[in-house]
Amino acid sequence: MSKHHDHDHHDDPSFDHGPPSEWEILSRAMQELMIAKGVITAEQIRTRMEQFEAELPYRGPRVIARAWTNPAFKQRLLENGRKACEEFGLDMEAEKLVAVENTPQVHNLIVCTLCSCYPRALLGMPPTWYKSENYRRRVVREPRAVLREFGTVIPDNVTVRVHDSNADMRYVVVPMRPAGTEGWSEEKLAEIITRDTLVGVTLPKAS
Amino acid sequence: MGGEPGGAIDTVDHGMKFWEKQANALRNTLTRRKVVRLDELRRAAEDLGEDYLKLEYFERTTHALRVVLLEHGFFTEAELAAKMAEVRKRYE
Repeated sequence: MSKHHDHDHHDDPSFDHGPPSEWEILSRAMQELMIAKGVITAEQIRTRMEQFEAELPYRGPRVIARAWTNPAFKQRLLENGRKACEEFGLDMEAEKLVAVENTPQVHNLIVCTLCSCYPRALLGMPPTWYKSENYRRRVVREPRAVLREFGTVIPDNVTVRVHDSNADMRYVVVPMRPAGTEGWSEEKLAEIITRDTLVGVTLPKAS
Repeated sequence: MGGEPGGAIDTVDHGMKFWEKQANALRNTLTRRKVVRLDELRRAAEDLGEDYLKLEYFERTTHALRVVLLEHGFFTEAELAAKMAEVRKRYE
């Protein structure tokens, strides 16, 4: 009935190509055992997968767009990130959230040198490079060189501050609102607020 | 690791395979419900020592989850091996 009826499973994102690795088999076996033992349900896993794809990545831009347009909200966000997000109607999943504001004098950048702690409740899953050994090693040692690899040049007279996350404390960068966005709605602003700008490796642009 | 010298950063996000999304949801569901704690998962991953860097990210987290769930006694090695055999067979 669908004109896509002739597609085979290679187009189905619910399958990986090729035979499963032993890691996949292990992971699936553990999941099935934990469901069989009644510790978790299949529904919880499905819901969580959907949230990571469809909901969590879009929360951060909405929160920061509000901060750009509402100075009182921005103040509350900087004072207590988690509480401010709850006021926004977001379940922040019980972690401390520290919002760090970029200014003409300071540029902020976040990392987790221990593993991959990340504000998932606001941004979804971290990108591959955030979890990479090279980013975790170098960003606390030579942040300006790392930023240049992302095409971001921070002038020498601007301080670069690197924030190291952990399991109980996550960071999010509040970038500076770019010139040329005067009068924009929160929705329009949220579109130029990308994940990378909230980690601090790039800067938002008005175009 | 933090502060050590390293090579160029691959700035492309390669996304996640389906099994990685599922493994991530499993780990995340278990930590959110406080069945296991992030710190014990990280300890189990760091106990890999030299092998830590040989494994890919989700291989490492899956290994850590295995160690911690066995420690907590949610299932035995034998149960896990039997379930893995069953899953493997399903793919054949």
